[in-house]
Amino acid sequence: MMAVTNPASTSFVLLRVGERRFAFPANIVTELAPPVRLHTFPHASPLLTGVIVRRARIIPVYDAGSVLTGKRMMSHRFYLIARREFGKATELSAIPVDGECELATGEMQPPPPGQPNYVTGTVQVRDEMLDVLDLEALVTSQPARSAGELEPEATA
Amino acid sequence: MKPAIPESARLLHSRRAEQVILFTIGRQMFAIAAESVREIRSTDTLAGAASEIEFSEVEKVRHTIERGRHTYYVVNGCAHFRLRVVRPSLAMILREFRVVVLVDGIDRMAEIPAVYPLPRAFSGEERAWYRGLAYLEDHVIPVIHPGGFLTRDEFHRLDQAVLAAASLREMQGAAQA
Repeated sequence: MMAVTNPASTSFVLLRVGERRFAFPANIVTELAPPVRLHTFPHASPLLTGVIVRRARIIPVYDAGSVLTGKRMMSHRFYLIARREFGKATELSAIPVDGECELATGEMQPPPPGQPNYVTGTVQVRDEMLDVLDLEALVTSQPARSAGELEPEATA
Repeated sequence: MKPAIPESARLLHSRRAEQVILFTIGRQMFAIAAESVREIRSTDTLAGAASEIEFSEVEKVRHTIERGRHTYYVVNGCAHFRLRVVRPSLAMILREFRVVVLVDGIDRMAEIPAVYPLPRAFSGEERAWYRGLAYLEDHVIPVIHPGGFLTRDEFHRLDQAVLAAASLREMQGAAQA
C-alpha cells in the first residue's frame, strides 16, 4: 500500500473496483487481504456473495462492484476488509477490489448534486477527483440492475 | 476508539463440540445436529406411505406422511433453499418437528468444534434457516436450524389443508354410501 501524506487532512484508503477508483475513510479499514477462498451457501440477503475466513474470523463478502459499476465482479485481486457497525456491535466486512490500495490524505468536499446516497463526498488526490464511499449506505444499496441482469466483469 | 470485534465471532474461541450429519442438497453441503434427526430413509421406501396434498398453499410441501398418529410434512430441500431442483433420493425425518426433508445425499457424520454465529450481514430468511456456521476441514458449512423448514404459520396452513382434504373425503365417502 503506497502512502500520499498530508498531515492536516483526513486519511482515505483508495481502492479500484472495475475501471474506477473510490475512497473509503481509512479509520474503518482494517486490512487488505489476499484473494482467499470464497465460501458460498444459500441465502436471501442482497449483495452478499458468501464468506471468507481470515485471521480466524468468518467475514461476509459484499459484491460492491454490482452497485458501483453495475457489473458483478468475476475476478479480483484482493479483499478490502472494513468494519461495519450494527448498533453497538461491529462486524468485519470484505469487499473484492481489483488492484492494490493506496493510503492518501485530503480534504473531503461535499458530493456533487445527484450522487447516490453512498457517495458522501469527494476527495482530490493528485489530479484525480474520487468519490468517498459510505460503507453502510453502499452495502445496503440495491445493485445497479437486478442480479439476473448484471454483466460479469471481464476477467484480466 | 472503535469497539473491538466481539470474541464470539472468532473461530479460535472454543465452544461445545457437537456431532452433526453432513448432507447435500444439490451440490451444497449442510450440517444438522445428529440429535435432531430421527431417521434417514430412501425416498423409495417412503413412497408408498406418502399422501399428496391436493391444495398445498406451501409450495415446497407436496406430500405428507403419517407417523405415530402425527402428520409429517415433506419439505423439498431444493425448494426450501431455492436451489436448482433435482430428484432427491433420501428423506431425513426430524425428531422435534413434524418435518421430513428431502435431500440428495448423506456425506458422513462428523464432530464440529463449534457453531459460529451467522454474521449479522446476513439479514434474510437464512437467519431462520441456519443456527450458524461450522468450519470443518477448510470448509464453511451452514448448520441447519431444524425448526426453520416450516414456520408456525406454514404448519397451521398445512394442517388446515390436510383437515379440509380429510373432511372432503369423508363427505364424498358418505355420498357414495
